[in-house]
Amino acid sequence: MHPEISRIQELLAGQGYVADRAIATSVYLSIALRKPLLIEGAAGVGKTEVAKVMARALGADLIRLQCYEGLDATTALYEWNYQKQLLHIRLSEGGDRSVEEREAEIFSEGFLLKRPLLDAITRETAPVLLVDEIDRADSEFEAFLLEVLSDFQVSIPEIGTITAKTTPHVVLTSNRTRELGDALRRRCLYLWIDYPTFEKELEIVRRRVPHVNGHLAEQIGAFMQMVRRIRLEKIPGVAETLDWSAALMALHRDHLDREAVEETLGVLFKHQDDATLVRTQWLDALLDGVATLGREGRPWSQEVVARVADRLQARR
Amino acid sequence: MESGGRGAGRRPAAGAAITRPRHGDLVANVVEFCRLLRRRGLSVGPQEAADALRALAGIDLADRRDTYLALRAVLASGQDAQRIFDEVFWEFWGARRERGRLQTPGADSTLSMDGQQVLDRVLLEWQDEAEDAGEGERVPAYSPVEMLTRKDFSAFSADELNEIAAVVAAIARKVATRLSRRTRQARRGHLVDLRRTMRGSLRRGGEILEILRRERKLQKTRIVLLCDVSGSMDLYSRFLIQFVYALQHAVSRVETFVFSTGLHRITGALAHEDLRAALDEIARRVPDWSGGTKIGRSLRRFLTDYGAQTLDGRTVVVIVSDGWDTGEGDVLETAMAELQRRAAKVIWLNPLLASPGYEPICQGMRVALPYVDVFAPAHNVESLRRLERYLARTP
Repeated sequence: MHPEISRIQELLAGQGYVADRAIATSVYLSIALRKPLLIEGAAGVGKTEVAKVMARALGADLIRLQCYEGLDATTALYEWNYQKQLLHIRLSEGGDRSVEEREAEIFSEGFLLKRPLLDAITRETAPVLLVDEIDRADSEFEAFLLEVLSDFQVSIPEIGTITAKTTPHVVLTSNRTRELGDALRRRCLYLWIDYPTFEKELEIVRRRVPHVNGHLAEQIGAFMQMVRRIRLEKIPGVAETLDWSAALMALHRDHLDREAVEETLGVLFKHQDDATLVRTQWLDALLDGVATLGREGRPWSQEVVARVADRLQARR
Repeated sequence: MESGGRGAGRRPAAGAAITRPRHGDLVANVVEFCRLLRRRGLSVGPQEAADALRALAGIDLADRRDTYLALRAVLASGQDAQRIFDEVFWEFWGARRERGRLQTPGADSTLSMDGQQVLDRVLLEWQDEAEDAGEGERVPAYSPVEMLTRKDFSAFSADELNEIAAVVAAIARKVATRLSRRTRQARRGHLVDLRRTMRGSLRRGGEILEILRRERKLQKTRIVLLCDVSGSMDLYSRFLIQFVYALQHAVSRVETFVFSTGLHRITGALAHEDLRAALDEIARRVPDWSGGTKIGRSLRRFLTDYGAQTLDGRTVVVIVSDGWDTGEGDVLETAMAELQRRAAKVIWLNPLLASPGYEPICQGMRVALPYVDVFAPAHNVESLRRLERYLARTP
């Protein structure tokens, strides 16, 4: 492996983020080529986390732009501080300056509210700009964002063009609720993050849930691999795994049994239907799977866990 | 994943024009690789090739996995693209897999160049290749099987195309307008444009006499088109593809898929400006064209892989099929139920419906019908014209 890539991997690991090679390579290239990194994957696989950790690893500030339907340039780029402008107009009443002069005054940088995008390109040192859930914004905003990301400059009619002092490290995430435009994709490096393998998830639990019982962590990892084979409305991601682990710890559980799982189902499944489906139709099979694994030699591997999970799936 | 198969089992037929890396020149090889990706429908051009070279300059070329990951990050810009990339990568570079190393000469020279220099070098190479070979003749064979099943669409008459295009453009206009969900903000009325309001007030010494507002944005209905291209639908496939193509261009958000035994997203292929190119692309991408039909399985695959990004309360799903399903009925039923629940409307177009005395008695059609909002024929331009009303009336 390239030394820089392993260094990134270690940096990320140092921040508690377990990055496989594809992730480390993409982050490295994004930094080296100064190209935005577009990350797609199901909810809860740690897409947003990449940007946060990247910022910490680089010692850079993180600027986050959360996208939503209807997000427009004024919310993302800049807005005039209207209250301050009004106040200023009142205070300067009765002066002898012309309308033009007063206008120039209140439409100057002092009255500008920097929103995330403008903020990101006017920093002295390059920050990490996280454009989160870009698929939730509409395509007009996407086009606008593309423009900003191409030129790293912004035109404000009243002031002129502001050019980036430094090029920010840009990370975009998408849950794929909408297909993104080709132009934006081409502008970015692309990374797909899948649900983790058993080994990776186990590693994540061990790192992120301190003092977790090793045996319990393994059972949790295996349980998650099996649960994700079930056709659910919302497949639980890594975030749910961590919440669930913490919940089990808080209840002083050291292994998975029916009672432990039933008590904590709500942490794992965010849809009532999913929780009901698992409780009524799958719980026996899942616990059975965990028990089957218990008879296997340690340590469990993705292969062994997948084999048990396959059998569970075939039974339905 | 069916399409994710690695190169080994897909040796091209003797004499087929599959291109392999040339010795010695990294730039030439990366450019050739990029051109190959482009022919498979990825949007890769000289700029991406230059980025790929810059990426390779920054990693250890002796490490095959790093090379693969780096090229993939730069060149494959989506999940579908990654699948195609995987195939092409192992086909192209796979010949040298045993040596575990890509061509290195030339890498050092790109390392020292800046972005523009790399791009210039790539453009030069890109052009040379095009002149040497003539784009068309060098289209590589994909696999012998696919060669056999690839259809020639060249028999389309220009008149037919024009007529379809005109009708569909009309359909598209009707479908178009539906107020965006953002009009939920109706309780606040239109959006206040503070900026213009403020400007206006300046003229009156800061007194706001008039509140200026911004326009609402219009949002079009989304359409998802699922076209059956199995053997039983062969007669209509020509017709349907034209329809699909024209619709794609007339409405902003259309996702188009074809299915027979498997499902294929062809939205990207249809984005070509040139119809001929688009059809070539589809023929190449759909290896099981005119095979059997697994409607249920195909719909399930659609729901799993594309449902989240394409379906919502303003999506109209249009299925074009005769309903002859060789798969299991209950798979089709659950898929149809889910489709109906997640989409605004499900329209099923059946070309056979126009035949006198046709009853939807075949298994698949019977199972699917309860979940269909509109059941209509689609055998000629006239029936498409009537379709306009169903599409236009979104719930």
